[in-house]
Amino acid sequence: MDLTQIIDTFAFYSAAGLALLGALGVAFSRQVLHACLCLLPCLFGVAVCYGLLGAHLLFAVQILVYVGAITVLILFAVMLLQRSLGRGILAGQQHLLGSVVATGAFMLIIAIAVIYTHGTPWKPLNLPLTEPGITSHNVQLIGELLMTTYLLPFEAVSVVLLVAMVGAIILARRERDTEPTSGETPEAREGDSA
Amino acid sequence: MKLPPLPPMPPLPNIPMPWPVGLTHYLLFAMLLFAIGLFTVLSRKHAVGILLGIELMLNAANVNLVAFSHFLSPRGTAGSLELNSVLDGQVFALIVIALAACEAAVGLAIILRLYRNLGSTNLDEVAKMKW
Repeated sequence: MDLTQIIDTFAFYSAAGLALLGALGVAFSRQVLHACLCLLPCLFGVAVCYGLLGAHLLFAVQILVYVGAITVLILFAVMLLQRSLGRGILAGQQHLLGSVVATGAFMLIIAIAVIYTHGTPWKPLNLPLTEPGITSHNVQLIGELLMTTYLLPFEAVSVVLLVAMVGAIILARRERDTEPTSGETPEAREGDSA
Repeated sequence: MKLPPLPPMPPLPNIPMPWPVGLTHYLLFAMLLFAIGLFTVLSRKHAVGILLGIELMLNAANVNLVAFSHFLSPRGTAGSLELNSVLDGQVFALIVIALAACEAAVGLAIILRLYRNLGSTNLDEVAKMKW
């Protein structure tokens, strides 16, 4: 076992441990805010796993989109809710027995499948399995793939993103005209709009 | 009615070694991540907690996609698009990440609207459409 392999192994176990600890924090935190913050190390660990698998673009995208955008979005929403509730939001747990049983059954099935297939000489269908080639410098290839083979899913995702953005704005917008809040007189509202 | 006899048990499974890190390690890692996400979704009371669980599950699926494409795809010479299936999993994972962003945005908007209309984000109290 050469040095690269040792470093790879060490990095994998560190990243996976970090991610799993973060995930446990997400599952068992008392407050929603803490659960959101626990998501950060979890996502970072997953990003390191992408890096170890040679997916450098995904490493960057994971940190930019997940850590930088999605987690911050969730944090914003939690703080908005917390401000209107006036206290920390407790993330209580319930149906614990059912959850444990379902999760355990899932883990049992998947673990049996994974461990029994360990060491299987997988071969892609009808394709030659040659020596491990270069998986670095593949960012350009991904761009070419997105513009050629995967053009249709790419465009579909862009439409979905647009629709989701418009939908989120419409859903979260405060409708002042149709929903007069209590304690707000019509004169005040007119003054507001003027 | 008599059931057909069970097939003989397969031989003992190959227990994965701690190193070198191979496909099985990534699959087991993704399984644990997915299981924790599933537990979060099933056990949380608060709507945002359930969203967090869904994010965990999506990440686990992404790890699986990238790991399979890394370990199982045929390797051609770099730059040849004939053997581009090396990167299929990565492209799938990219698309999944984009959809996860959509899901988070719309889900949080729905939760905010829920709170504004019903005054609660506890999903057990949101039973208006149940009869």
